[in-house]
Amino acid sequence: MISLQSIAGGKRAVLLLLVFLAVALLLLPESRQESLMVIGRPMAAVIAVPLRVMEAANQKIDTTVNRYLALQQWREENRALRQHIAHLQEENARLRETAVAATRLHDLLELQEQLPYPTVAAQVIGRDPTNWYRSLVINKGRKNGLAADMGVVTPAGAVGRIVKAYDRFAIVLLLNDLNNAVTGLVQRTRDEGIVEGTEKGLAQIKYLPLLSTVKVGDQVVTSGLAGGFPRGLPIGTITKIERREAELFLSAEIAPDADFTKIEEVLVITAPRESAQLPANPFSFQPAAPVKPAGEPR
Amino acid sequence: MKVLGYAALILLLVPLQVVLVDRISLFDIRPDLALVAVCLIGLYRGEMDALLAGIAMGFAQDLFSGGGQWSNLCLKPILGLIAGLASRNLVNLTWLFAFGLILCLSVLSGTVMYLLKAYTGPGASFFLAARGIILPQACYDALVGLALFKLLQRGRASRTPQSALSYE
Repeated sequence: MISLQSIAGGKRAVLLLLVFLAVALLLLPESRQESLMVIGRPMAAVIAVPLRVMEAANQKIDTTVNRYLALQQWREENRALRQHIAHLQEENARLRETAVAATRLHDLLELQEQLPYPTVAAQVIGRDPTNWYRSLVINKGRKNGLAADMGVVTPAGAVGRIVKAYDRFAIVLLLNDLNNAVTGLVQRTRDEGIVEGTEKGLAQIKYLPLLSTVKVGDQVVTSGLAGGFPRGLPIGTITKIERREAELFLSAEIAPDADFTKIEEVLVITAPRESAQLPANPFSFQPAAPVKPAGEPR
Repeated sequence: MKVLGYAALILLLVPLQVVLVDRISLFDIRPDLALVAVCLIGLYRGEMDALLAGIAMGFAQDLFSGGGQWSNLCLKPILGLIAGLASRNLVNLTWLFAFGLILCLSVLSGTVMYLLKAYTGPGASFFLAARGIILPQACYDALVGLALFKLLQRGRASRTPQSALSYE
């Protein structure tokens, strides 16, 4: 049996020996130290394996940490960008709306400048509270010089006439309402009739002469004989002609030039008889080239 | 307080109908909020309140309408009166009754409106009017009325304290 003391003594001796070897190695000349590499190289090769693994793991950790940090930053950036995009989208929508409104108002202003009659521009603020009439509520009234029976136009053409005028608002009965009637004129043939609304939300011109040469595609304009409209305001285009047996007159269906469901601003003609002549087509519609009914019976 | 409530209702309802109801129109058909309100007043408050509210609402509605006649001024109080009388002998006011009553009164109102229009001006065919306006509007009115009825009932139930004899 080896006593504990002898083990301790053996250990001490080994330690001393190792210290001595280390000092001896340090004191050896550099050329001799090279011989140690015989053991060192394989050992380094062995150590290199876990070293590479650890280095790879370290790289991974580094990448992950960096990615995480970057993600945090990106998340913030993403949120900020999303907010920015939402803000820009909102602004874009607002600007688009403003641009559309500007175009509309520009057209209206252009029409107002070109019309030789005094007009009042008004905004549509509501529609008929019942389903029985096709009317609009506009934000101008008697205080702005409006009165019943005044004609209402848009850059697309005539849209209706005022039926009720209050101090600060007025009710406009649209041309496609069954109860509305204005005098109309087929532009090409100069045949006069009465323009009324239909059940389908269109308009029709009634009481045209039976021998009229009116045809599909003809433009119908206001005749200026009665009501608040001057002569020559576009109403619509004839889409269908009804010739019934045993009737003394013709009637024709008209597709109105103005889209009555999308009217937002209008001009009210306050005095339709101040000037006799309209300038050359101030409206946005382009009528078909007039064809002379040469030699056709009337 | 009740008068103020009615005044506020009349002042708000018709502008709401004119300006905003267009946004909830389905196939170009808008609910007649005044009709629904008058029917509900008749059901909950009785015929006299409904009659007076109907006069005020019908008058306000006619002011903003393109029609020349005072048709709503005549019709709305009558509808309120009928709704009030119909609810007089009711033991339980159910949603089915409210739905059916508003539907029937809306059909009645639409038919009378059609007849008034046909009598005073160029009339459309009744079949077209029934298919295009009267029936769709009646259904829409009844649905809106039902929704408001449910809301009112919920509001009343939350305000009414539970009694010991309550079965619910």
